[in-house]
Amino acid sequence: MAITLIVGTPKGAAVLRGNGNGSWSEDFVLHGWPVTASARDDKGRIYIAVNSPNYGVAIFASDDGADWKQLPAAPRYKPEDRGNPEHHRLVSKMDFAGQLKGGGRFVDQIWTLHFAHGALWAGVSEAGLFVSRDRGESWQPIDGFNNQPGRENWAPGFGGLGAHTILSDANDPNRMWVGVSAAGFFRTDDGGRTWNPKNRGVNPAVDSAPASTGQCIHHAAHDPANAGIIFRQEHRGVHRSDDGGDNWRVIESGLPIAELSDGHRCAFGFPMVMDRPSKSVFVAPLDGDNFRFPRGGQLAIYRCSDGETWQARTDGLPGNCYAGVLRGAMAADQKRGVYFGTTSGAIYASGDLGDSWREVASGLPRIMSVDAYIS
Amino acid sequence: MSVKVQLPPVLRGVMGGERWLEADGSSIAAVLGDLAKRHPSLGLHLFDEQGAVRHNIVFLHAGEMIRAKDAGARQIRDGEEIVLTNALAGG
Repeated sequence: MAITLIVGTPKGAAVLRGNGNGSWSEDFVLHGWPVTASARDDKGRIYIAVNSPNYGVAIFASDDGADWKQLPAAPRYKPEDRGNPEHHRLVSKMDFAGQLKGGGRFVDQIWTLHFAHGALWAGVSEAGLFVSRDRGESWQPIDGFNNQPGRENWAPGFGGLGAHTILSDANDPNRMWVGVSAAGFFRTDDGGRTWNPKNRGVNPAVDSAPASTGQCIHHAAHDPANAGIIFRQEHRGVHRSDDGGDNWRVIESGLPIAELSDGHRCAFGFPMVMDRPSKSVFVAPLDGDNFRFPRGGQLAIYRCSDGETWQARTDGLPGNCYAGVLRGAMAADQKRGVYFGTTSGAIYASGDLGDSWREVASGLPRIMSVDAYIS
Repeated sequence: MSVKVQLPPVLRGVMGGERWLEADGSSIAAVLGDLAKRHPSLGLHLFDEQGAVRHNIVFLHAGEMIRAKDAGARQIRDGEEIVLTNALAGG
């Protein structure tokens, strides 16, 4: 069993290959491109999303994992789409001319790529959803999502207004979920024509937003074959839904509880992944939104095996780590393998659902995404 | 009218490693438009959704640095060279 990890960093992608016996090789590709996401389609092609503050977003693809070619198209908004002024202010830090960008809506980052039902989906910032049905040769906006009623009330988190999480239902191609910071979780039941907020039971993180949107979802995970049971890492804690997101409840037994900057107490973190065969869910808690490093410096992954309670899994992880694990920087290979990268450039791998860990790469730039592919 | 455009290292990978490209146009913006027409993959990186030259791109032409907002007004003569680069930041 061979494992390929695509590791996104601000300076390119590390491609780690494991042979299943503990031996790993490493290449570094797409030099100079910030890499934020990847996906693999049903024919084995791997797609890598890049976004440069200077040169915009693009998608590279490879059929062999070695030769990467940029595709001729990428998600782009229409000239008539209007942007969110607060998002502009947040993402225009790199504007050499010191100017805001005139009211338009721009794709400034591809947060996630997701392959489902024969199509490649992209969640982007400024928050939006796009689809390609021809392996990335062309992209179409999902207007029902991108221009849905209520969008005018969406407020960005500090990282901007980004659609960073896409979930799909293996048994229903018309049903899909998208997570947006900091507007919350949305679901379509009609193939993307209409969307509804799915945040009941989750405290808003944005006080000025309507209660139905304004939740700061950080990530979510489920089994597409049993899609209605969803786990959700929120700015304000870890939640579970048993009805496709209609209702949520907190499940934090065993997790480290931190005090947030506004006094709220919960389990704070960013990534969340599931090993589908075992139904195990993994999170990487941080000591609140002020500190954003593991409590006491003990790097820890927490596993939920029963759908309700959590246990720390630290064997092999350092006790002097003051780095974080970003939203997209953890992956499960669905064969009991779990992998994550830190903001200090280390990759850790477990082949036993987190019971033991080993550092398999170090010295990388800040790690923004990790995806795992078995072949 | 033909001019030569030098690409920055990160964009050479988009063009199969090419350092210099030929293009036509009487202004920097027109040259970029011709490049985008000839090479759509490269065009993604030159113009944003509003059709504006991406604002962090800068150009070196005839010993001067030209910002993106001035690309339409900067006239180019036959046989000249333009260096395409970007604002530098970070570590």
